[in-house]
Amino acid sequence: MSSVVELRDVTKVYRLGSVEVRALRGVRLQIESGEFVAVMGPSGSGKSTLLNIVGCLDRPTDGAYLLEGQDTRYLSDDALSEVRNRKVGFVFQTFNLLPRLTALQNVELPLLYAGVPRAERRRRAAELLARVGLADRLYHRPRELSGGQQQRVAVARALANHPAIVLADEPTGNLDSRSGEEVLALFQELNQAGVTIALVTHDREVAEHARRIVTLRDGRVVRDEPVRSPRDAREVLRQMPGEPEGP
Amino acid sequence: MGLLEALRVALEALRANPLRSVLTTLGVVIGVAAVITLVSVGQAARSRVVGEFASLGPDLLWVLPGKAEEGQQFATQEGRFTLTFSDAQAIQREARAVAAVAPWLQTSIEVTGGGRREVTTVIGTTPSYLQVRALRLQLGRFLSEADEERRKRVVVLGPTLARRLFRAPELAVGRRVVINGRAFEVVGVVHPQGQVLGVDLDDRAYVPFSTAQLLFSVNYASFLFVKAQDTASVLRAQREVERVLRREHGEEDFTVLTQSQFLGALDAILRVLTVALSSIAAVSLVVGGIGIMNIMLVSVTERTREIGIRKAVGAKRWDILAQFLVEAVVISLVGGVLGMGLGLVASWAIAARLLDQAPTAAAALPVVVLAFSFSVLVGVAFGVYPAWRAARLDPIEALRYE
Repeated sequence: MSSVVELRDVTKVYRLGSVEVRALRGVRLQIESGEFVAVMGPSGSGKSTLLNIVGCLDRPTDGAYLLEGQDTRYLSDDALSEVRNRKVGFVFQTFNLLPRLTALQNVELPLLYAGVPRAERRRRAAELLARVGLADRLYHRPRELSGGQQQRVAVARALANHPAIVLADEPTGNLDSRSGEEVLALFQELNQAGVTIALVTHDREVAEHARRIVTLRDGRVVRDEPVRSPRDAREVLRQMPGEPEGP
Repeated sequence: MGLLEALRVALEALRANPLRSVLTTLGVVIGVAAVITLVSVGQAARSRVVGEFASLGPDLLWVLPGKAEEGQQFATQEGRFTLTFSDAQAIQREARAVAAVAPWLQTSIEVTGGGRREVTTVIGTTPSYLQVRALRLQLGRFLSEADEERRKRVVVLGPTLARRLFRAPELAVGRRVVINGRAFEVVGVVHPQGQVLGVDLDDRAYVPFSTAQLLFSVNYASFLFVKAQDTASVLRAQREVERVLRREHGEEDFTVLTQSQFLGALDAILRVLTVALSSIAAVSLVVGGIGIMNIMLVSVTERTREIGIRKAVGAKRWDILAQFLVEAVVISLVGGVLGMGLGLVASWAIAARLLDQAPTAAAALPVVVLAFSFSVLVGVAFGVYPAWRAARLDPIEALRYE
């Protein structure tokens, strides 16, 4: 079976006015099904660019990217939309929920664009929200939810179409340490249930929740190592002072 | 994403900014209402005026001063004074297909009588006018040949004028009215004729043609009414009248129109007028459309991040395009429906007041269909560009937008 993600000498060059920015300079990377990978690196190392390419939001300038064995080089914009819809789940630092929609409607969004009928959409969205511990928040709008809760809605949305991979860009960046830890616990839980996850962070402690850390510097992979004993988010939470929130 | 889903999303977005949506819709409401009102009032006025003139009978001819230019049916203003009383006499004498001729001289002037003053239309004409217009008398008599010959100061009143001056037509006959400083005796009152375009045909005074020429110090006729022997001889009558006048004048400085030619010309003028007015109204609809476009562009910019999110989770170009396009069409459609209602009420009210006749539902139908499809068209035309801009946004750029 082929890898979920396979990058072959991927480069990415941006043009900002007359200045060329070489964000990626030949990245080789494979992510297998069931992995939990953290991509680390200082800002400007190209880790967000990498994530955008893996998520089919962006295309490589050179090299090939295969998602579940499918070469994405020659796909049209609409085909890439479809790939994002079916195979990728995004979790952003700023949550990126639609403020006017309820939690349920936000989770329904990928299902809407997948053409799932309304009743089925609601059922699946409610199920997903229950899975991330928000069964009692279906009709809340994002501003009525805490940051941690909003990020969990985003996770539920990312899982909506059973994607091949969940991509998280600094998912704990806008959260306090407890909420952040809770989101990481959720990721670990999902990973144990078989969900493939790639997480971008500049924070070593966050990265150590993963089972593999890929380090980027100046657009190249400089280190790629397994984590022998990942931090257990549940354990960290237990040792935190104060009342635990959520499940 | 189906259209139903797009509609749901669009309605949601419109509800989020109620005041803005209402104001944008108002632009379309006004445009559509203006178009509907002007078109349907114009139509009603046209059918009313044409109907009024058609009711004069198909055997009527008009002799107008001045020669109509090639391709035109009405003469230009030059040669306004080329028709005379003797022209009428010559036609009466020589044109055998002609049953009656009545010259017509018309002035708006103040008339005093019964202790009141009224501004009215004083018409100088001959006894044959009664036959030409198939006019009937309510009281007394019409102008006579003797009145004409002796330039008598007698006057026949329209019922409205009679009522205004003397309270009732019965009280008018035998009384005196003063026109332009001269006393006239009221000898009769004609039957009511009704209104055309708010002009009361009964607010009139008829005096002998010769008296009118003397009274106003002119020697011409505004135009001549000619009645053919019968409907079949109208064209023959036209040729004869033209022949007589050409000989009398030595040149062709007049225009003879049959009823159908006259109606055709009148209809054409009124149609041009209606189209012109509706075009002006259509401008306001275009302005409404620009309002939609403006708001949609603002909306797209404001929702750049939303578009980015939607694209990130799998929205295709068409999904985004449909979302914004449907939003624009909903605004214009709602505006169209409301404007249609407003326009129909307004045109009904105006027509009822001005023409004492409401536009019929059948007449309104094409206008409604037109305005409806036009407003949808406006929504699509002015919504497509903002929607297209939204659809081709780059998801990464859009997600980065603050």
